[in-house]
Amino acid sequence: MTTRELTYVKAFNEGMHQIMAEDPDVFLIGEDVAGYGGVFHMFDGLLDEFGERRVKDTPIAEQAIIGLGVGAAARGLRPVCDLMFMDFVGVAMDQIFNQAAKMKYMFGGAVSVPLTITTAGGAGMSAAAQHSQSLEAWLAHVPGLKVALPATPHDAKGLIVGAIRDDNPTIVVLQKKMLGVKGPVPEELYSIPFGQATIAREGSDATIVAIARMLPEALKAADALAADGISVEVIDPRTVQPLDTDTIVTSVRKTNRVLIVHEAVQFGGIGAEISAQVQEQAFDYLDAPVARLAAPFAPVPYAPVLENAYVPDAARIEQAVRRLLERG
Amino acid sequence: MTTSTDVEVTPATRELVLDLHRRMVRIRRFEESSGKLVETGEMPGFLHLYVGQEAVAAGVMSVLTDADQITSTHRGHGHAIAKGAEFRPMFAELYAKTTGYCKGRGGSMHIVDTSRGMLGANAIVGGGIPIAIGAAFASQYRDDGTVAVSFFGDGATNIGAFHESVNMAAVWNLPCIFVIENNGYAEFTSQERHMKLTDIAERASSYGIPGVIVDGMDALAVRQVALEAVERAKRGEGPTLIEAKTYRFFDHQGIKGMRIPYRDAAEVEAWKSRDAIRLIETIGVERGLATAEEFAAIWAEVEADIQDGIDFARTSPDPDPADILDDVYTA
Amino acid sequence: MAIEIRLPKLGLTMEEGTVDEWLLEDGAVVTVGTPLLRLATDKIDVDVEAEGDGVLHRAVPSGTTLAPGAVLGWLLAAGEVPPTGVVVTGASAAVPVDIVEEVSVITTMPAPDDVAVTSANGRAFVSPNARRVAGELGVDLGTVRGTGPGGRILSEDVEEAAAAAPAATVAGRVASPLARRDAREAGIDPTSIPTTTGIVSRSDIRAAASSPQATAAAAVVVPVTASAAAAGQETASIIPMKGMRGTIAARMQQSLTEMAQLTHGFEVCMDAVVALRAEMKEQYAALGVPVPSLNDFVVRAAALALRQHPILNATIVDREIHLLRHIHMGLAVAVPGGLMVPVIRDADLLSLPELARTTRDLAERCREGTITLDELEGGTFAVTSLGTYGVDMFTPVVNPGNVGILGVGRLRDSGRWDDDAWVRTQVLTLSLTFDHRAVDGAPAAEYLQTIAELLARPLVLVS
Repeated sequence: MTTRELTYVKAFNEGMHQIMAEDPDVFLIGEDVAGYGGVFHMFDGLLDEFGERRVKDTPIAEQAIIGLGVGAAARGLRPVCDLMFMDFVGVAMDQIFNQAAKMKYMFGGAVSVPLTITTAGGAGMSAAAQHSQSLEAWLAHVPGLKVALPATPHDAKGLIVGAIRDDNPTIVVLQKKMLGVKGPVPEELYSIPFGQATIAREGSDATIVAIARMLPEALKAADALAADGISVEVIDPRTVQPLDTDTIVTSVRKTNRVLIVHEAVQFGGIGAEISAQVQEQAFDYLDAPVARLAAPFAPVPYAPVLENAYVPDAARIEQAVRRLLERG
Repeated sequence: MTTSTDVEVTPATRELVLDLHRRMVRIRRFEESSGKLVETGEMPGFLHLYVGQEAVAAGVMSVLTDADQITSTHRGHGHAIAKGAEFRPMFAELYAKTTGYCKGRGGSMHIVDTSRGMLGANAIVGGGIPIAIGAAFASQYRDDGTVAVSFFGDGATNIGAFHESVNMAAVWNLPCIFVIENNGYAEFTSQERHMKLTDIAERASSYGIPGVIVDGMDALAVRQVALEAVERAKRGEGPTLIEAKTYRFFDHQGIKGMRIPYRDAAEVEAWKSRDAIRLIETIGVERGLATAEEFAAIWAEVEADIQDGIDFARTSPDPDPADILDDVYTA
Repeated sequence: MAIEIRLPKLGLTMEEGTVDEWLLEDGAVVTVGTPLLRLATDKIDVDVEAEGDGVLHRAVPSGTTLAPGAVLGWLLAAGEVPPTGVVVTGASAAVPVDIVEEVSVITTMPAPDDVAVTSANGRAFVSPNARRVAGELGVDLGTVRGTGPGGRILSEDVEEAAAAAPAATVAGRVASPLARRDAREAGIDPTSIPTTTGIVSRSDIRAAASSPQATAAAAVVVPVTASAAAAGQETASIIPMKGMRGTIAARMQQSLTEMAQLTHGFEVCMDAVVALRAEMKEQYAALGVPVPSLNDFVVRAAALALRQHPILNATIVDREIHLLRHIHMGLAVAVPGGLMVPVIRDADLLSLPELARTTRDLAERCREGTITLDELEGGTFAVTSLGTYGVDMFTPVVNPGNVGILGVGRLRDSGRWDDDAWVRTQVLTLSLTFDHRAVDGAPAAEYLQTIAELLARPLVLVS
C-alpha cells in the first residue's frame, strides 16, 4: 500500500474516517466536533460522512460528555469523546479517573470501558495558562487509564485507531503546535500498539527521551550535535501509559547518559517517573545523573518572550546534551 | 409539574402486590442483616442502608426488564436487590470474598450485576448520573427499545454532573429517567439547609422536561409514575424527572451510624408510621388481593434466603494478594 | 506616520501565509477597507484590507511567504518616505540572545559546581558505570583521574586508563596495577626503578622501598618496544585489549610475575569412574536425570581432596599464608572472546548431582552473559579442563589470590601390566600448577595422589 505526506491533523482525521467506517459502534461527541469539524479541524468531514446519529455536538458540559461516554462504553459501544483543550480535563476528572478508570477493577472485571478521549495539549500558541497545559503525568498516574502522545503524523493516525480499538479507557493527546507538521502516512487503516516506543534516531553517546512535541526539537538538536561528532539516540515513547521502559533502559545501557525532555512542568512530570525507572534498572551503566529538561514550576505564561523561555527547544536540548557529556 | 395525587393509579393486581412486597421485604431484610453484621465487625467497611426507601426501588424496577439499565449511588443495595440481584453474591461481596459480585474488589458502594442491567453503585455523589445518560444513549443509538434509569438523592441534585446530565439528556431526547429519592437529607444536612426549593421536581422546567412528584412510601404510586416515564422515553419524548418523597429510617451510614442525633425523633417516628411494606400489606389485605399468611410466607422465604446468603459468604474463599493486579486493564 | 500592513493570523494553527497577488500598484491612494492584496493560506484565501488611509508602499513581492505578523508594506502619508527598517519576520520574533542565558535559571540539571571534587571524608566521586567498567577491566580507581563534572571519574576515564600505558612509566616499562599501587603507597616513582626485563614487579618495588640508594644507580634498561613496528611487520587488523581481553591480560601477567609457579603432571586411572558412570547412565536414564560428567567427578574429587590438603586452599597476604575456611571452586569456562571463572561456593559440601547442576547452570549463564560479578569472585582454588580439545598435560596459570589450579586433560586409552597381561585402561592427566612460595613439590604431589585415590573408588564421590 502507498505512503504519502500528510499533515498531523489530516492523518488523525483520516484515521477517524477509516475506523468509523470499519466499526459501526464508534461514535463521536464533543463541543463543535460535528458542524465545525472541531476547532482544530481534527474531525472535518465526519458529520457529512456518518451523519448526526454518529457525530454529535454537545452542550458545554464536560462531565456529561465523558460520563455519557463511560455509560455507552459500559454497554458495548466505542465512544470517542472530545475535550477541546487538555486543560478541560479537570472539569471531567471524576468521570475519567473515578469512573472510567476504575470500573473494570472495582466491578471485579464485570464491566469494560472501551472509551476513547481525544484532546489537544501543549503550549507555544500564546493561548496562556488555561489553554496550554500538558497534563499527561496526571493521567498516567491512574491505574486503568492509557495515555498516548503522538509526535508524528504516522503515529497520530495509528494511535487514534489503536486507542479506539483498545478495550480500555484511553486518552489520545494531540499536540496543538504540530497540527501542520507533515510526514509519511500509509493509506491503509493501521493501528499502533501501546507500550511500544520507537527509536527515532540511533546513536551511541547519549540518549534523549523526547515526549510529544519535543521529538522534532530533539531531532533538530541531534542534527546539530552530529555536526560536532556527537552521536545521539532519540527515543519517542509514543505512549506514557503503558510506558516502554525496556527500550529506554536498553538504550541507556548502551549510551550511559540520558536526557528526558518534555513540555510539562518538571516537578512531578512524566520525566520523573522515567528517571526513577532508568536509575533503578540501569544504575551501573550511568556515567552521569539522569537529566531532565522541562518547563519551570509556573503556569504557562502568555507573553511570547516568556513562553519561548518556558518551553524547551532544540537549542536548549543541545546545550543539555553537551553538559551531559562534558569532560574537563 | 405533576404530583402523584394528580396521576390516576391503575388498579393493582395480586401478582403486582406480591411482587412489590417481595422486592421490598428482600431489601428490608438484607439491609437490616448486613447492617448488624457490620456493627458486630464481622463484615468490613461501612454501609449506607436503604431501609425506609424500599418502595421507590421496588416501584420503579417493577416496570423495568433486565435489559433496561440503572445506575445507583453509595446507597445502592436496595436498587440492586429490587433489580433482581441475588443474596449470595451480594453478601459475598460485602464479606469481601471472591464469590462476590465484584470478586471482593468493590464492596458495598460498587455492587454491580450486569446480567440484571445494574451498572454499578457509585461512591461519588452524582457520579452515576452521567453514566446513566450514556447507557440511555446506547439504547437510542441501537434503537433497541430499552431505557436507563438514574437513581440519586436530593443532595446529588446540587452537583454539576446532575445539571449537565439532565440537560444533555433533555436536548438529545435520551430515553433516561431521573429518579430523585428525596429523603430530606444530604448526609447530615437537611434539605432546607442545602437548597431553597422544597419540591426538587421544579428543577425539571429548567431543562424543558416534565417533573413529577410521587409519594415515595407508596410502591403502587411509584410504579405508576415510573411506567409513564418509561413509556414517554420509549416514545422518543425524552427524559422525565421524578421526585419520590421518602425517608431513610437509619442513619446516613450504618444502623446507629455516627450516633449524633441530627434528626428529630418525632420526624423519624412519623415516617416510620407510613412504612411502605406495612402499607402494601394493608392495601393487599383490604382489597382482598392477598392474605396475611401469604405475606408472612414471603417474610419467611426471604429469611431463609438471607441465612443461605450469609452462610455462603462466610464459607467463601478470600481473594489472593497475588491477584492484586488482575483486571486493572481489559486485556 | 506610516501604517504597517501586517500579515494577519487567520486561525489558531496558522503558521504562514503567501502574498498571492497585490491588488494595487505602489503609490495607489487607498482608504480604510480597500482590499490591498490576496493572501493565500493552506486552508483559505482572503483579501487583506487597508486598516487606514494612505499611499500604498509594497515591501515584499508577490509570492512571498511569511509568518503571521510579518510586515508586508506600509500606508504612507503624502510625501512620506517609507521606513527602511528591517522587515520583522513574524509575531514569534527572534528570541533575544540574552534569553538563552536565562536557561541556567530554568533548566535544572545539577550545576557542576554543586559537586565537590572530594568531600572532606575523602570520598571520591565515581559514576556507577565507571565502577562497573573498572571492575571488568581490573582498573584500580585510585589510579584514575576523573574528567567529569567536579572531577567525577567517568567510564571513559577508566577505559583510557586501562588502554594507555601506565601513567607512571615511560615507553618500555610496564608495571602491573598492584605494583603501581605499591609504588604509590611507598612513595616511589616506578620510572626510577631499574629493570632488565622491562617489567617492574612488586618485588622490585619492595626492594626499591628498602634500599632507595639502589634506585639511583644507573641500570641497564632494555627498551621493550610496545609495538611490533619492526621492519616488515605490517598490521593486518587490530584487536583492542579492552573489556574481558584486557582483564585476562592483566590478571595473567600479574599472576606470573607475582608467584613462583610450576606444574606437576600426574596420570590418573579413570576405569572405576567410567564404569560407575555407565551404570548410572542406565539407572538415571529411567529417572530422566542427567548423569554427572567425568569432569564433575574430577571437580568433586579435587574439592574433597582439598580438605585433606589445606595448604592448596590458601592465599598469600603480604608475608603470610592464610589457610581458608571454605572451599570455593572456580571453574574455567570458555566464552566467546575469552574466558570466565565462575565460582562454586562450598563446592565440597555439594553432592555430586548438585555440583553437576551448579556447574551446568554457571557455565550456561557465562555463555549467555547473565552471570553476575558476585559469581565471578571469591574462588579459593580452580579447575580448568582442556580435555575436550585433546590436550593431555598443560601448564594452567594460577588465578591471582590462589595458590593452586588443577588442569584436566583428555580421557585416553592406555594400558597397564597386570602380572603378565597387558590390560586396557582409560586414563587422563592431571596438571597441577602451584605457587611454590606456599606449596612445595611433595605436598603438591600428595594432593594429586589423594585425588587419584578418590577417583579409583568413586562411590565415595557419589555419596
